[in-house]
Amino acid sequence: MTTSPPPDPTLLLQAALDGELDAAGMIEIEARLAADPALAAQYARLGALRDSITARASRPRAPDSLRARITSMTQTGGEAQAGQNGGQVHTAQVLSMTRPTRSEGRTAPRSNRSRWLDAPYRSLAASLMLGIALGAGASGLFTESRSGSDVERAIVAGFIRGRLSGQSVDVATSDRHTVKPWLAGKIPGATTVVDLAKDGFPLVGGRIDVAGATPLPTLVYQRREHQIALSETSAPAGENNSPPRRERRDGYSILRWTDNGRAYLAVSDLPAPDLDAFGVAFRRAAAAEREETPKR
Amino acid sequence: MVLPHLDDAYGLARWLTGNQTDAEDVVQEACIRALAALGAGVVERPRAWVLTIVRNTAFTWLAKNRPKTVMLTADEQFLEAAAAKETRAPANPEDELIASAGQAELDAAIEALPHLFREVVVMRDINGLSYREIAEAVGAPVGTVMSRLARARAQLIDRLGSR
Repeated sequence: MTTSPPPDPTLLLQAALDGELDAAGMIEIEARLAADPALAAQYARLGALRDSITARASRPRAPDSLRARITSMTQTGGEAQAGQNGGQVHTAQVLSMTRPTRSEGRTAPRSNRSRWLDAPYRSLAASLMLGIALGAGASGLFTESRSGSDVERAIVAGFIRGRLSGQSVDVATSDRHTVKPWLAGKIPGATTVVDLAKDGFPLVGGRIDVAGATPLPTLVYQRREHQIALSETSAPAGENNSPPRRERRDGYSILRWTDNGRAYLAVSDLPAPDLDAFGVAFRRAAAAEREETPKR
Repeated sequence: MVLPHLDDAYGLARWLTGNQTDAEDVVQEACIRALAALGAGVVERPRAWVLTIVRNTAFTWLAKNRPKTVMLTADEQFLEAAAAKETRAPANPEDELIASAGQAELDAAIEALPHLFREVVVMRDINGLSYREIAEAVGAPVGTVMSRLARARAQLIDRLGSR
């Protein structure tokens, strides 16, 4: 966040009301309230609203039928978790046991709802959720060790999310001189941004993926109707220059390489040969840029 | 993990979807996701975690089943429109009316809020989450959460204060 000083007094009032101000902030706001009747009136009004909502707005309780269903789900989940690779197994178990329960008591307006339960949609939705969770920087949620595959998972999830939402970039521009400073303003260190339009990969823009608690600069390039998301991190020790390696994950092509001490990971829904061509073009352009830069 | 927070989870889903059957579906779906994600490790703040999953499930559900009622992508425009509406509103809401609003009025006023505003009010005043937890749940910076909350409350005050 920026350090611009005087925030909106309404926001301060509200933070005071919600118990989100520290002691110093509270002293300040109390002084302002004492000096400013209009502000004090606003504070009282916000307080009245808060009290009304906490006292009288609906707090629906979960129906017992739902509670029973969830209870049986969690029990099944617990058993499966004892085994290895629990995630996959117990999801399947949970599904198989909840479906009949759902269809028993209900009938009519369910037809399009049942599609929502289809497995492919579910896995897509789960990936989307993972993308959202990681994208939100919700890093403390999963206390897993951060290995290379976590980074990969985050990047693939970011890619899927971008494709699903139709908003794959935070800054949309084909001008690398716009993307680069935008990223530089958000992430320490310079990101390599090259123009590959003449190689058939126009730049769409840039975004920031988050793996664990680490923000990663990600560029998005286009090829026909496909996209390529390219994330850059620092290379692992002793791996300054390694040739591209191709992998697949969740049906997406991944190409990773290190170059001049930086690690690159490209994810795409393109066929593998096209992604290889992208890797070649990017490395060539990046090398050309490195030679050019010192002369300026 | 989920069960102790089931009422919170259901309450949030109920507020976001607007009816009981859909809320049950969303909670059930969220539980399936939560169970699947549990394999990934220990959860630090289970309640916020559960509510985050419920919130995301609800929005996925809304986007699929009621695309016209949710506005997620046109965020900027939408906030501007909301701000314009505020300035037109009468500046003198009755404090008495706000303090004495009954359940029906409160519920109707909260339900009238756009989803992005409604969720922050519900998470804050009904679920009692901190700004930080809300920010993580909705995937927005704390500052954005604060300004949405302020707008939401201004609209509620308008509506309840000028009955």
